[in-house]
Amino acid sequence: MSNVTGWTGKMLRVNLTTGNITTEDTMKYKEFIGGAGIGYKVIFDEVAQGTKAFDEENKIVIAVGPFTGAGVPCSGRTNITSLAPTNPYNAVTDSHMGGNFGPFLKFAGWDAIILEGASKTPVWLKIEDDKVSLEDASHLWGKGTVDTSNELNKVMGKEACIASIGQAGENLIHLSSIVNSVNHSAGGHGGVFGSKKLKAIGVRGTGAVKIAEGKAQEWLKLNRYMMTDIIGANNQHVVPSTPQPWAEYHNKGSRWTGQPALFWGAAEPPVETGECPQGNPNKVGLRTQKAIFDLGDVAEDRTIKMGGCHSCPIRCQSNLKVPELEKYGLTPYAASTCIGFINPGTVMNVNWRGTEEELVIKSLGSRLADDYGIWSNYGQLGRDFRYVLNSGKFKKVLSEEEYNSIPWDLAESEDPAFLLEFYRRIALKEGEFWKIAQGPYWLDQEWNLGDEYWTGYGNNVWSKMAFPKHHSNEAGAQVGVLVNIMFNRDANSHTHMNMIGAGLPLELLKEIAGEVWGSPDAFDEPQNYTPMNKYKAKFAKWSLDRNFLHDSITLCNWVWPMTVSPSKDRNYRGDTALEAKFFSLATGIETSEEELDLAAERIATLHRAATIKEMATIDMRNEHDIIPEWAFTDAKNPDAKPFTPGTVIMDREDMQLALTMLYKEYGWDEKTGAPTRATLERLNMKDVADELEKLNLLPS
Amino acid sequence: MFEREVEDFLEKLRTRREFLKVSGKGVAGITVTASVLNLLGCSNSDVGSATAVVTPKGILISDQSRCVGCQRCEMVCTLTNDGKVHPLISRVKVSRNFNYGTELTSDYRNKDGYFGNFLMTPETCQQCEEPKCAEVCPKEAITLDEKLGAWTVDESACIGCGACTEACPWNMPTIDPEDKKSTKCILCGACADNCITGALKIMPWEEVAAAFKRKGYRFS
Repeated sequence: MSNVTGWTGKMLRVNLTTGNITTEDTMKYKEFIGGAGIGYKVIFDEVAQGTKAFDEENKIVIAVGPFTGAGVPCSGRTNITSLAPTNPYNAVTDSHMGGNFGPFLKFAGWDAIILEGASKTPVWLKIEDDKVSLEDASHLWGKGTVDTSNELNKVMGKEACIASIGQAGENLIHLSSIVNSVNHSAGGHGGVFGSKKLKAIGVRGTGAVKIAEGKAQEWLKLNRYMMTDIIGANNQHVVPSTPQPWAEYHNKGSRWTGQPALFWGAAEPPVETGECPQGNPNKVGLRTQKAIFDLGDVAEDRTIKMGGCHSCPIRCQSNLKVPELEKYGLTPYAASTCIGFINPGTVMNVNWRGTEEELVIKSLGSRLADDYGIWSNYGQLGRDFRYVLNSGKFKKVLSEEEYNSIPWDLAESEDPAFLLEFYRRIALKEGEFWKIAQGPYWLDQEWNLGDEYWTGYGNNVWSKMAFPKHHSNEAGAQVGVLVNIMFNRDANSHTHMNMIGAGLPLELLKEIAGEVWGSPDAFDEPQNYTPMNKYKAKFAKWSLDRNFLHDSITLCNWVWPMTVSPSKDRNYRGDTALEAKFFSLATGIETSEEELDLAAERIATLHRAATIKEMATIDMRNEHDIIPEWAFTDAKNPDAKPFTPGTVIMDREDMQLALTMLYKEYGWDEKTGAPTRATLERLNMKDVADELEKLNLLPS
Repeated sequence: MFEREVEDFLEKLRTRREFLKVSGKGVAGITVTASVLNLLGCSNSDVGSATAVVTPKGILISDQSRCVGCQRCEMVCTLTNDGKVHPLISRVKVSRNFNYGTELTSDYRNKDGYFGNFLMTPETCQQCEEPKCAEVCPKEAITLDEKLGAWTVDESACIGCGACTEACPWNMPTIDPEDKKSTKCILCGACADNCITGALKIMPWEEVAAAFKRKGYRFS
């Protein structure tokens, strides 16, 4: 094991029932790379069919891959895999967090932590290099994530990284998160920690992450090449949002917002983002001024700096000064990004106004959610609240006493103080109101929301699988839909969306699509899409596979893969082999892009197998890969027809064909969408095929 | 006031640089005021946030307001000098201050660090005029490398006792737990070269001179 590089080679197994802590060899999971790959394998192999998320028999796997801690740009990710309480079948999902936790775990010498069983009393897991122990957490139970971290930093030292649940996870609220470093949260498995009475994991590492012997200079060269020629801004947008002398193209939708006279205005002294042209590695971190992108121009003067994850040159987290928060008993600072800001905006119905009031609401809400450890379910929590509120349902489902105790007038008058009530009632499981945070399926079971809830356009619920849409038919038509049907939660897959939003002219993007997926027909003009073809199936599969790869290796799929670049000299071509190049240098195992993609396909197929096992059916086409009714209607234009300009309304037959074509690309049974024995064996997963056969879950 | 700050700074630079040339000894870090930074084109306000170290190559500026806490400097430092990623022994230190700055206090929510006001504290070796690390080394393993203009560790002499770590007021030299050798900044410049926001930056002497000249100050 001494010559293992990239990985540390060791995993922890912690049994919370017995208190046993043992060490295992990571390399037995080498074919599954790390992160999600290890997670799916452990869950598939070790968690019995029919197990529910909060059962003692459920396990939760916190794992990273060979890139995390090895300095690969955008590798500060941690992947968490377990059965998901939000899913109607409690099927497997990943949650993901950035921050410092994953890299610090590697520096402590561990690739993964497998947690099993359940403690009777609150505990926390202390990891100081190879000294690992379970400690009493009774004094932490009931605390928010910030206080919990601070208490444990007092024990472990100020350098340690603490990941913990807040009150929401303790109370088994389905929409709970696991949070490290104030605002880096992984959504959906906080309650699994709670069910195991595990409050937190603290990690402090003094060791190294090795790369292949003698490869440091090559690594540095590859890193420089990526930083000068390949990387863009957040979501791998590769043109600036404003016209700039050095830039051939610009696009106002780009997240490359850095520009002359735009500042981190609350820095002392203010820092000008300025022009950050391709080729200058010392300005990459200034390209994404995300605060103005998320919150409007008013955020410029509030921006202390742009934060983000360990190792990442793309800073997508706004670190803000918001003195108004002191009025609500908080400190004058806030940090979040994207949906963390949008969800409280939805709760208060104030999104996209760009006002100071909206900024305060979003800052307050994101702070409360991260401290209580509440997950927004990609903004569905806010939409569910508005749906129930607008339908008058609260009056029917809450007792009169509870209904009258809620200050609805604050919500109506857009008073931020409503959020104090909103998040507290959820996290502390007060009355019946907290059920709003159980996720669509369970909420509907409890409160009977009716057909309109599921089929209504704009409510965004993706089918009876009960997760919200995430870059679906509006993002690449069939490709976006195929990406959305695959998971057991909202698709955290940005491969296709990043390409679509890169900011380059359509003709260039189509050319590049032709080079990567075999034909320019893989890529449609936005709002003007063509019938399904096999190149779109290849585009969808590649998008999915790279997402599974990134969650395993572990990289941020909000930036990777590098399909395009900002380099005019390269004619804006990216480098899709960059993962394989870094993998070879990190692990010392010479690996081609094709070989790594095959591993990704293996992980994707294992995820499918686990889903089939947990749902106890092979009929994925009809039971899992369901496309919501609203995707077939155009709310703005009831007469719209598929394949005509100006609409993304889908065609039913065409989408069934799309499913067939995707199944075919994967070598799955074209009728059901279930992996066949031949495919499982081709991917070296005979054991998975055997297990599915035993359960009568292999297609004939 | 401004004139005086600039003159003071220039005077310090002249003497320190002269000192560096003549004596072959190191030079201490100089606090750079905002006015001077402004003059050097580094900022545009009247509040200071940066420190600087005078080196043979130029001025190494570490700017708190620009540091985003990505910790890439630590990775690049150790890959360059040690062939592995090992933040503990990085010669530039950010991660240890990430959460709470240099000290964990009860008022942490209003202090430096990600749990407070988000400000990072990147620390670099000061290449002191009279370095404590060299002074206490029982093997005299830390000496000035005139070519590099940096106090460097002779690994063959180092016994990994950690006296240098203890003696340094900022605990910058660190013993590598793997080979038990002290690691200390040799001014290789990899951290600044790879800093994603220019928070760490080496401004070459030619640029420093040119910047002063543009503003009418004489500096050679």
